[in-house]
Amino acid sequence: MKRNLLCSVAVTTVLAGLCYGQRVGEPAANFKATDSNGQMHQLSEYRGKYVVLEWHNNGCPYTRKHYESGNMQRLQKEWTSRGVIWFTVISSAPGQQGYVTAQQENEYLKRMNAVPTAALLDPQGDVGRLYAAKTTPHMFIINPEGLLIYDGAIDSKATTDQSDIATATNYVSQALEEAMAGKAVSTPTSRPYGCSVKYAH
Amino acid sequence: MEDGESVGTPSSMLHRCIIFCSVCHLLVRAAWLFLPTTVLAQNPADEHVGVELVSEEESIVPHQQLQLGVRFDLQEGWHTYWVNPGDSGEPPRIEWTLPTGFQANSIQWPYPIRLSTPPLVDYGYEHQVLLPVVIRTPSGLTEGATEQMIAHVHYLICQEICIPGQKQLVLELPVRDHGTASSNAVLFESTRRQLPKPIPEGWKISATSAGGEFRLRLRARKVIASPQFFPLEPEQIENAAPQNVSATPGGLVLHLKKSNHLLKPISRIKGVMVVSGTAYLVDVRVLQSSGQGPGQSKQN
Repeated sequence: MKRNLLCSVAVTTVLAGLCYGQRVGEPAANFKATDSNGQMHQLSEYRGKYVVLEWHNNGCPYTRKHYESGNMQRLQKEWTSRGVIWFTVISSAPGQQGYVTAQQENEYLKRMNAVPTAALLDPQGDVGRLYAAKTTPHMFIINPEGLLIYDGAIDSKATTDQSDIATATNYVSQALEEAMAGKAVSTPTSRPYGCSVKYAH
Repeated sequence: MEDGESVGTPSSMLHRCIIFCSVCHLLVRAAWLFLPTTVLAQNPADEHVGVELVSEEESIVPHQQLQLGVRFDLQEGWHTYWVNPGDSGEPPRIEWTLPTGFQANSIQWPYPIRLSTPPLVDYGYEHQVLLPVVIRTPSGLTEGATEQMIAHVHYLICQEICIPGQKQLVLELPVRDHGTASSNAVLFESTRRQLPKPIPEGWKISATSAGGEFRLRLRARKVIASPQFFPLEPEQIENAAPQNVSATPGGLVLHLKKSNHLLKPISRIKGVMVVSGTAYLVDVRVLQSSGQGPGQSKQN
């Protein structure tokens, strides 16, 4: 908790670059962010539910792999239907690839048939830096007790090739299945793969 | 092999090639004018990087290894990645289609540079890089024959944005009883100097795990400049953390912040340490420390 508090403080200061994110097994730091419909969310409101954070950049070829194949939408649909809160988080700074206005994001969600619980707009990169989100995609899972239980890649095949999705192990689904069955998460961390998150310079 | 003499001489091959290439060039230029933009967009990486399959020598010499490589010529501001790409990105991959009996070793990775885009650090290459691959050739090759080697290369280049690319690169070389240096021979030579070497005689390297960091202790006969460590395994150290150095009698300690993703102790740490422009391969056992200062850290 102390770490998270320190991290939260660091995010608001020039020390943000020194923050190395959250640690699996520890309480996930609270955050506040506004979604593409103007609604404010904070993590603590969702205690009692699983929460997935998906870092997103609609121009990144790795993100496109999972959206143009429909893989990400399938995951969103499946897990939100099972009670999971799914936040797509966009930390691209204005002028950077993937930055969108609220309206542009809503158009994108509609066009792609994406169904996250909400798309959080994080143009200052505060939530991204708090979690040390490195890539798009980069996935995190928080359990109903508020502990971080997964931090890493979406799956086991770090490529831009859609045909790799079928044979990859999806770490997010695996972790959620295991955690919901009361088991330990077998792969709690992995190297997230993708484009770098386009933070403000 | 219809006309052995004209096919075999380099100058006639060169002439044919120049004529052929000129025609190709014109056709390609003409085609570009008429292609719809969706087709042009299929390999947008081409605009920012040249990728070529090259050989150190202009021929294949029987009973000798063949030194090939994939050369990337990157536009200013663009980069591609090392075998461990760091916080983001993806290393190039090569799939080979080779004549019967030929076998490709894995890529020999020259040491990378740190590519910093705060708060992230990647490991990769800018400007130009050659990724050398040794090809083992079979015995019984026929002199005068031509062998064709194909490298299917997948790669990612990034500037502010990232573009994946793939290319099928073809190289044909004649089999001869002697080798002649190609125009890329100098690049092969300079690239060899960037490949990791074994630790020199007289150096001692050990690693300890102490709290939130690994300490690489290096002892050498003479004073050495500040080293830089590039981990070969992902998720062992925080790539973006500064690598602080503290002096000890007869050497130094390099402080590497453990990755947040490291949930269990590791038994070995493996990476490339670069000291004054020379890379050394480090692969050492990690000892557990009680966590005191670097002076007292070597315990088991």
